[in-house]
Amino acid sequence: MRTLTMAVVLCMALAITGVAGSMGSLAFAQKPGGTLTIARPTDAVSLDPQQETTAPGTWVYQLILEPLLVLDTHMKVQPKLATSWKVLSPTRTRFFLRKGVRFHDGTPVNAEAVKFTYDRAFNPTSPGRWASLAGPIARVDVVDDSTVDIVTSKSYGPILNSVAMPYAGIVSPTAVQKMGTQFSRAPVGTGPFKFEEWRSNNRISIVRDPQYWGQKAYLDKIVFRVIPEESARTIALQTGEVDFVLQPAPTALPTFARDKRFKVDSVPGLRIVSIGMNLSLPPMNDVRVRRAIIHAVNRHSIFQSLLGDTVIDARGVLAPDIFGFADMQLDKLYPYDKAKAKDLLREAGYTPGPDGIMQRGGQPLTLKHISGRGRVPKDAEIGEAVQAQLREVGIDVKYEVQEWGRVFSLLKAATLGYHLFTTHWGVPTGDSDFGLFPVFDSKQLPPPGWNTARYSNPRVDKALEEAQASIDPAKRKELYAEAQRLIAQDLPEIPIYNTRENFVYAAYVKGFVPHPSEYTLLVHGVWLQK
Amino acid sequence: MARFVLRRVAATLPVLLGIVFLVMALLEFIPGDPAALMLGDAATPQAVAALRHQIGLDRPLVIRYAYYVSRLAVGNLGSSIRENRPVAAELRDTLPATFQLGVAALAIAVVGGVTLGGISAARRNTALDNLIRVASLVGISMPIFWTGLVLIIVFSLWLRLLPPGGIGTLSHLILPAVTLAAPSLALVARMARSAVLEVLGEDYVRTAHSKGADPTRVLFRHAVRNALIPVVTVVGLQAGQLLGGTVITETVFAWPGMGRMIVNAIFSRDFVLLQGGILVLAVIALGINLLVDLTYAYLDPRISYA
Repeated sequence: MRTLTMAVVLCMALAITGVAGSMGSLAFAQKPGGTLTIARPTDAVSLDPQQETTAPGTWVYQLILEPLLVLDTHMKVQPKLATSWKVLSPTRTRFFLRKGVRFHDGTPVNAEAVKFTYDRAFNPTSPGRWASLAGPIARVDVVDDSTVDIVTSKSYGPILNSVAMPYAGIVSPTAVQKMGTQFSRAPVGTGPFKFEEWRSNNRISIVRDPQYWGQKAYLDKIVFRVIPEESARTIALQTGEVDFVLQPAPTALPTFARDKRFKVDSVPGLRIVSIGMNLSLPPMNDVRVRRAIIHAVNRHSIFQSLLGDTVIDARGVLAPDIFGFADMQLDKLYPYDKAKAKDLLREAGYTPGPDGIMQRGGQPLTLKHISGRGRVPKDAEIGEAVQAQLREVGIDVKYEVQEWGRVFSLLKAATLGYHLFTTHWGVPTGDSDFGLFPVFDSKQLPPPGWNTARYSNPRVDKALEEAQASIDPAKRKELYAEAQRLIAQDLPEIPIYNTRENFVYAAYVKGFVPHPSEYTLLVHGVWLQK
Repeated sequence: MARFVLRRVAATLPVLLGIVFLVMALLEFIPGDPAALMLGDAATPQAVAALRHQIGLDRPLVIRYAYYVSRLAVGNLGSSIRENRPVAAELRDTLPATFQLGVAALAIAVVGGVTLGGISAARRNTALDNLIRVASLVGISMPIFWTGLVLIIVFSLWLRLLPPGGIGTLSHLILPAVTLAAPSLALVARMARSAVLEVLGEDYVRTAHSKGADPTRVLFRHAVRNALIPVVTVVGLQAGQLLGGTVITETVFAWPGMGRMIVNAIFSRDFVLLQGGILVLAVIALGINLLVDLTYAYLDPRISYA
């Protein structure tokens, strides 16, 4: 009898411990409910990828519209509305759709909806804003209700990255046809959140979809607020008006990092800021002058003093997470060395003039540099630092800072009257094709193209064009490595820094994962530990 | 009087048409192609050309002007080329916010300025007078964004009394309205002070005092009312300044108004939206001028618009 009582007591004790233990772990489990308020500098132009490819729009509509594939935090392709795919030929890839998914308006997601989305975007008379970023996609063929083929007009290696772009979300055909232009103000998709309300230049709110096919969100609601002034954004976080700040003032980050009530999160981004050189304007066509410039510029000190830890060193013309990235070994090839810079200039036929400025044939070495202001962090200030450093080796820089609209039209013109220009290039596809081809292929000259440096190397062209057409990832990597090696030798531009995506938010915001792409904000898994 | 008002309203029409033409002509000369800017980095030249044709940029200026005015005549302000949304809808969203801010700031500037100026004049050369004069100097000199940020830091961050930005309740309106009003308030206070002082030296005021009338009654019933005439002039001019100041105030306080909308339209070269916004501002400015002239007639019996 006593044994039985002991056994019962033991079982009860175990049961109570078990319950207590699980209650303890509940305290760290995800708490459902609550509203996350996010502050950002500008409002979206539209919530329809057809018209909007800038970050303020993608941050919101990526939670509402989902593409067939997505790029994860390591920039690897993952299934989303497509569960698997098969490359049938260099121009045809088959995607198998997830079954049983419905749009927020109840209509089913099927091959027709995918075809509708792509036809709409690649309509030749009124293409969507992202069509030119996606490569040579010709059409979508419906194979059966849950299978589509995406067909390209020529062999295209990075097809999966194009399909995974944040702009390629599948839209509800019923909603688009019913709402017309209003769809861009209230999109209907398959995402973990549904659109609720948009007050222009003020706030956009989205609510949890309880019928979501995947891991349902914990938050009830997310509100995206517009606060243009940088310091006002961070003050709003400190007073509790907002829970999360996008594009925080870099100078405020160290203060927040020390404060236990807040968390600073960051991840290396995909955008490189560099000083481009116009190879069509002498003396920039002389590689010795270009190399002299990079030897004379202390790249690390420039961005360290201006931006601190809010950016990282550029290891080449591409960011490390981009498929096909190769480290250009710039520090080894071109260490900061003023004496070497002067030697190279002397080799190029320059001698120091009476005022210290290098001259050749009676002409001083004067270069014109154009930059925008505020387009990327500290763009205008970098030019000033470079001007001062080049002066030390006898190069006179005439530096101009103009409003971005003007700089854009100058850089896109058929001829460029500047030797140097501050530029940047981001890669929304996460693939070297978009990172290198539009900028370094000799046929991509402005006005249509972005080879603003007017760089031309037939071996680079060959490598880039072959890599674009190849569907063999190993071969593509090899070709891109070769191209980047040649670009490092020719040096059409000097990379200064690699952006970092910086976020600061209240400590009770849990479950946020920073993503390298500046267009993607992974807040759907967030919960509030309040 | 009614005929005067009607004549003035009729006269605004050619002024507005002239303003529209001036804005369109200026935009011709500003560098930057709206279509290329809108389509962004990777647009093809065919896409840019198609968009240019769609928004009518390939037509000469005079044709575009005629087209715009003819649509304006039937009340169509066009569509924002960036957002593809009717300009009227954008204005409907933003105008009430700016109007609210502007009226609040004007009220604070006028009431506060006249009161402080009157007190300053009545207590001339005392410590209070000097304090008000120094405060006016600070108010006129400090730029709006500085005043705004300082007020946010003091009242939102340190004292947690008011929200740091956004729109919604009365407490959201206080800081932006005070910030916007500050320079105008200072100016009105100074003007009111000198105007009241001048009037207080007049014979009829001395007569009233020697009659034994209550000094406060003298101050307000006689002195201030007559001193208001030059003050009204200043207020009329300040109204224009306030409209301009809303841009900065709206940016600092995240106030979703028309000022910010217009600046964004300039940066993206959205000329249709910009023209709509400037047209509204012009109408408001002309309306204020009319109101100022009518106020003169009310204040000064010598003036009549027959």
